[in-house]
Amino acid sequence: MQEFKNLKDLPEQDYFTGGSSACAGCGPSMELKLALKALGPDTLVVNASGCMTLLPLYPNTPLKVSWIHNAIENAASTAAGARHGLDMLGEKDMNVVVFAGDGATYDIGFASLSAAATKNERIIYICYNNQSYGNTGFQWSTATPYGCETKTTPRGKDNPIGTTDVHKDMMKIMGAHRVYAATASLAYPVDFLNKLVRAKERGGFSYIEILGTCNTGWNFDPRLTVKVSRLAVQCGMWPLYEIDKGLLTLNKDFQELKPIDEFVKIQGRYRALPQEGVEKLQALINEHWAQLKEYNGQRYV
Amino acid sequence: MREEELPYKGIEGIPIIKEPGSASKVNRGSWRLVRPVYDREKCTKCKICFTYCPDAAINWTPEGPEINLKSCKGCMICVEECPTDAMTEEKEGT
Ligand SMILES: Cc1ncc(C[n+]2csc(CCOP(=O)(O)OP(=O)(O)O)c2C)c(N)n1
Ligand code: SF4
Ligand code: SF4
Ligand code: SF4
Repeated sequence: MQEFKNLKDLPEQDYFTGGSSACAGCGPSMELKLALKALGPDTLVVNASGCMTLLPLYPNTPLKVSWIHNAIENAASTAAGARHGLDMLGEKDMNVVVFAGDGATYDIGFASLSAAATKNERIIYICYNNQSYGNTGFQWSTATPYGCETKTTPRGKDNPIGTTDVHKDMMKIMGAHRVYAATASLAYPVDFLNKLVRAKERGGFSYIEILGTCNTGWNFDPRLTVKVSRLAVQCGMWPLYEIDKGLLTLNKDFQELKPIDEFVKIQGRYRALPQEGVEKLQALINEHWAQLKEYNGQRYV
Repeated sequence: MREEELPYKGIEGIPIIKEPGSASKVNRGSWRLVRPVYDREKCTKCKICFTYCPDAAINWTPEGPEINLKSCKGCMICVEECPTDAMTEEKEGT
């Protein structure tokens, strides 16, 4: 399959409808809609408990493809099992795709994810990373960025920073599994869909992590979902890159990053983050960006 | 494979949703405080609104976008992202 060139080139057919109970302006909903454009009707989505579990709510579903809801711990194992079952039934062209949040991916389902990647199971694992346990009310996960306020890392007199830990570098971890690992953003849909096409054609295990821009948890006006996602990339908060069998490719390079202040100041989750916190966040981003620039085109993990 | 051909029929009594995309019949328009209003004259058919609508409430037709107000939750992403002023915001009930 040829890669998509621009927005007008993307498939017009949707396998996702309106009518779900997701919040207005929900990033992960948009991401699933977009993903299904590239994947097509012969797709089984395996979902781990999270916000997206509530998309199909009996007796209605916004999906026009098959869907299995699974425990939060083992979406990757269920997907691997479904893959083997479908292969035995001769349904080799069917896509098996996990759609799971960061809590399910970075934390609770990490063991099954790592096992499926190690075994190079022919599945596409999409993590929509809203940087929190969104469905249960925005608690901290190991994907939550430094300086972000969550229900379990509240900002206060004793702790003005909120989240004091630096999030897990999941891309490096998945890259070290020697599979295809890529980041994506809803603000760059052509890049996202092409990564899905690449993952599908490549076969084997693929890990695609898309920033799950969440206006409810991040506390901003839903109309800004695309803007916030774009800024995340332009500020280096969410760089677009891929690691294929250890080799790094930076997909979106910038001469200069926008200051992180532009991203931080439009979201309630960073409200009242002191200047020293913003500076530390900027330093963390600069360090990661310098690393990506240094290793671009080379062996990274 | 068709459902009738499956060797395993599932557990009886477990509810199965059989109509793909049946949620499109649900009225989410009641969530809206503001609604997008489309002006064909100003539209360049760039597909930006169509791509970014999180609820697939914008259908694409040969004439351009068509808003389905039953599915539109009024997030205003289409209004914010439209590069011309073909999508504008209006208060509900006006
Ligand atoms: C083992 C287990 N612990 C807790 C829960 C409760 N639970 C349901 S959804 C959810 C949040 C999942 O967060 P994430 O994977 O980040 O997805 P999001 O809700 O952000 O979409 C939790 C903790 C569960 N289902 N299973
Ligand atoms: S909380 Fe966030 S991720 Fe969950 S449905 Fe709402 S906008 Fe989407
Ligand atoms: S306001 Fe939001 S839900 Fe309504 S058509 Fe525009 S993008 Fe879609
Ligand atoms: S974004 Fe605006 S100009 Fe582009 S297709 Fe939609 S209404 Fe037309």
